[in-house]
Amino acid sequence: MLPLFVIIPLSVAFIISLIGRFYKRTGDILANLASLSLLILSISSLSAHHIGSVSVSVYKVGGWGGFPPLGIYMVLDGLARFMLITLNLVSALVALYSINYMEKYTSKYKFYILFMLMLAGMNGVIITGDMFNLFVFLEIASIASYALVAFGTESEELEASFKYAIMGSVSSSFILLGIGLLYSYTSSLNMADISAVLAEKGYSNIVAFISVLFLMGFGLKAALVPFHAWLPDAHPSAPAPISAMLSGVLIKVLGIYALTRIFFSVIGVGHIVLSLLMFLGALSMIVGVFLAIGQWDFKRLLAYHSISQIGYVILGLSLATPLGILGGLFHLFNHSVFKSLLFLNSGAVVYSTGTRDLQKMSGLKEKMPVTANTSLIASMSIAGIPPFNGFWSKLIIIMACIQANRLGYAFWAVLGSILTLASFMKVQRYAFFGKIKAGLKEVKEVPAMMRLVMVILSIICLVGGVVIIPQFNQVFLKPAVDILLIGKQYANAVLGAIP
Amino acid sequence: MNFDFSHMFRFDYLNSFIALTIVLFSILVIVYSLGFMRGRRRLFEYYFWIILTSIASVGVVLANNLFLLLILWGFLGFTLYVLINIGGKDSDRAAKKTFIIVGGSDSLMLLGIVIIYYLTGTSQIDKIHLTLDGSQLAILAFLCLAVASFAKAGAMPFHSWIPDCAESAPLPVVAFLPASLDKLLGIYLLARICLDVFVLNQVMNMFLMLIGAFTIVAAVMMALVQHNLKRLLGYHAVSQVGYMVLGIGTGIPIGIAGGIFHMLNNAVYKCCLFLTGGNIEYKTKTSQLEQLGGLAKLMPITYMSCLIASFAISGVPPFNGFVSKWMIYQGLIGQLGDGNLQLTLVRSVTILCLVAAMIGSALTLASFMKLIHAVFLGQYPENAASSERKINEVRPAMWIPMIFLAGICILFGVFAYQIPLRLLILPSLTPNFSLPFSEFLGFWSPGLATGLILTGLIVGVIIFKLGKLRLSLREDSPFIGGESSVLKESRVSGVEFYNTIREINILNKIYRLAEEKWFDIYDLCQRIFFKVTDFLRYLHNGVLPTYMVWCLLGMIVMFFIMR
Repeated sequence: MLPLFVIIPLSVAFIISLIGRFYKRTGDILANLASLSLLILSISSLSAHHIGSVSVSVYKVGGWGGFPPLGIYMVLDGLARFMLITLNLVSALVALYSINYMEKYTSKYKFYILFMLMLAGMNGVIITGDMFNLFVFLEIASIASYALVAFGTESEELEASFKYAIMGSVSSSFILLGIGLLYSYTSSLNMADISAVLAEKGYSNIVAFISVLFLMGFGLKAALVPFHAWLPDAHPSAPAPISAMLSGVLIKVLGIYALTRIFFSVIGVGHIVLSLLMFLGALSMIVGVFLAIGQWDFKRLLAYHSISQIGYVILGLSLATPLGILGGLFHLFNHSVFKSLLFLNSGAVVYSTGTRDLQKMSGLKEKMPVTANTSLIASMSIAGIPPFNGFWSKLIIIMACIQANRLGYAFWAVLGSILTLASFMKVQRYAFFGKIKAGLKEVKEVPAMMRLVMVILSIICLVGGVVIIPQFNQVFLKPAVDILLIGKQYANAVLGAIP
Repeated sequence: MNFDFSHMFRFDYLNSFIALTIVLFSILVIVYSLGFMRGRRRLFEYYFWIILTSIASVGVVLANNLFLLLILWGFLGFTLYVLINIGGKDSDRAAKKTFIIVGGSDSLMLLGIVIIYYLTGTSQIDKIHLTLDGSQLAILAFLCLAVASFAKAGAMPFHSWIPDCAESAPLPVVAFLPASLDKLLGIYLLARICLDVFVLNQVMNMFLMLIGAFTIVAAVMMALVQHNLKRLLGYHAVSQVGYMVLGIGTGIPIGIAGGIFHMLNNAVYKCCLFLTGGNIEYKTKTSQLEQLGGLAKLMPITYMSCLIASFAISGVPPFNGFVSKWMIYQGLIGQLGDGNLQLTLVRSVTILCLVAAMIGSALTLASFMKLIHAVFLGQYPENAASSERKINEVRPAMWIPMIFLAGICILFGVFAYQIPLRLLILPSLTPNFSLPFSEFLGFWSPGLATGLILTGLIVGVIIFKLGKLRLSLREDSPFIGGESSVLKESRVSGVEFYNTIREINILNKIYRLAEEKWFDIYDLCQRIFFKVTDFLRYLHNGVLPTYMVWCLLGMIVMFFIMR
């Protein structure tokens, strides 16, 4: 079952590229079927294991015999399940949304090809147990995303895509360099094996060097300040569904997931790395929100908030306490829901009014009630207003900060939360409330499929808080937290699970 | 994350009576809205949020779990935001400002509550008794919660949303939330944290008293120069909070009882005042004082209610506002008389607060004289009167709640001890303080005083009537050499007179700064934060090599750290 996560989107991308040109609906149908089946697959992977223990299942690619370092492995553990569900949930909804939204672009099938490639890359990053494969999948996803950012092929999109591609390639090269050095040091590419070898060999300067390379490389993919500068150009320029994918899941899968996987499970986190991450997280949190509050471009504002919210996730994770990791992962899930909803809202506004400038819109609530109400819910979620989902994860993160005796970071988190609220008040005020502008009298609500997607996401925002109720937590978040908590024991868990 | 769900709510005298009051106000406001909001759009939404608000408010006051309190409290900010947005012109701006201040303070409250949870290991409110001495964290937690309660109730410096909100939001919403419900909740929280959750020390009490005194005077000074009826009432809503904070800040039983009683009274008369304001606006379509006048004849019920409520808020005996203010003064005086407090600093602060409270009371009276004169007495402006339709009394659904509240003003004033104090206020304090309350009202006995006042009034009326009979006046229109007899110049709108206050030299400067919003924490923070934003945007110049340099610099620093 495990390779299906890569095989399905990859083969669908291939089929669409063959016949998409001739049958107009191929892309719509196949892409939606594929993403839906991936969602079902990832949810069914949850129920397939026992609750409580760290359960890991390993798949040998190509059925190679022997033990690491021989062969390529795919690993499914609690964290991977959690990430797969988050990713495929968002991508299934985004695919549904694209049916109507992408009508205004030519050669829609190419969009679906790239979309499926990106999905294949991200799924691959999550389930792979091999360093080099991680890099390959990461590049598949990144390159697809460069192309998708440029999909509009206007000057602005091309410039953004160029910046993104350059900076992304630089970070990829550093990651590759890091992987190469790690290979030369441990003579293995299997993550679990590397972890075991490193534990045996002990810490040395080369590991520190590799750590920095990875911190910068994945930090750039995750858009941590000061490696964030590509994001505010790239995310707004992409078509709205892709913005939702980029901000909602791509930076998390390529950035945060890879970062935590490598540092927690493979290299092992030391005190210094954790403090560094904590600092970078807090810095992103504050810098992102300050930049966001001055923006008048709806999507750019959202993009800066992604930087800020990523900061929360990293802050939570880098506390490395059970509560902190729980808060970080929970916030990751919540953020992917409400941020993709917000980008889809902005897409709906662009679809109907043709502008992203907040000053040019006003009073859209009258004409676009579904968009307005769902975006209100999403804004409340990101601002951390109870009872919406963002509140719970922020609460847990701040609790974890206090518990870990990091009062200063807790304070910054609170300040960031206030400013987030302020900037979303601005969005709500200028875009949706107030008197409707004269030029916008003819605006219509978006088509049904787009509305449906926004409503589904807003319902998740509304009831997302239930995830921390023990019954859900046991199945969904707890296994992921446990994997990170056992740290380098991951090696034993994986090596022990090899059939 | 194992919260104990078994002790979610508690019931004691304090929160039960506040919960009852909340329910009462909800009913009154819904009745009023049936009249006021008739014919508007999105009514279902409006009632839905009003009812949800009252349910959540009852939840807040009855909650015994800090996190439950936090969730419901934050949710109330959201309902307030939605309700303000239902309103008319500029309501989007007011709603934004309101929610940034209220929601922002909720975030601080979150921090405070988490710190308390961390310090005590429990989230059950009735089990927490933290001392402030020697613990920085406890002080921080207290301040965070105090900020939340200040922002909700509208004490300075977190007050600035109230006047804006009062001006722009739909009137029943103003009468419901900022005027009554938010006061009840904010002061409830303050009372709860001052009495139960924390054990305050002298410094913190002084701090609260100073905030209270400052709020009283500053807000009432702003109220004096307002030209908009609703905005004026909004500033008074801020000013009155000062008394409550001052009362609770005294830290001695009678002061605290006074503060809580004042909270109840304020909710009653302030709600009543806003409802009268709503009636006036409903009929005349304006709330600018210059464009009003002479409504006493046309809207007698509104006039009487407004008059009673104005007397009550100004602290004129025998209305309820007087009793609670008197109790607060007694609290302050009692503190002066306390043998332990011989520190000169403490004494001078107390005297300062006492003076401020009294000045505030006098100025409140002054500004309500202005209001009564400008709205109900004087003449209705010519140009407006000719164009508008005939102004008459509002429909019953709109005056019944008003009359009811005015009645309570009198009832709670005349029978202050028999009804509200004995049944509601004093029992709510008994677990913390048990004092012989029989003597605490000093030499003020409202029943006797009312009798005397009434006698005086009746005698006055009789003398007036007799005098009128004897004099036999002749009324005639003035003759001014054949000119038109309409005397526009002779119309005193009730606004100009108070401009004198602005022209006093120092005050002039202060008012100018206030109008430029230098004292508004919202605008102040906005200025500071936008400076930071501008700097950061200046750094983000969009040049790719710059960004690459940041990445490399970041790497270098990290290499240095990881070395």
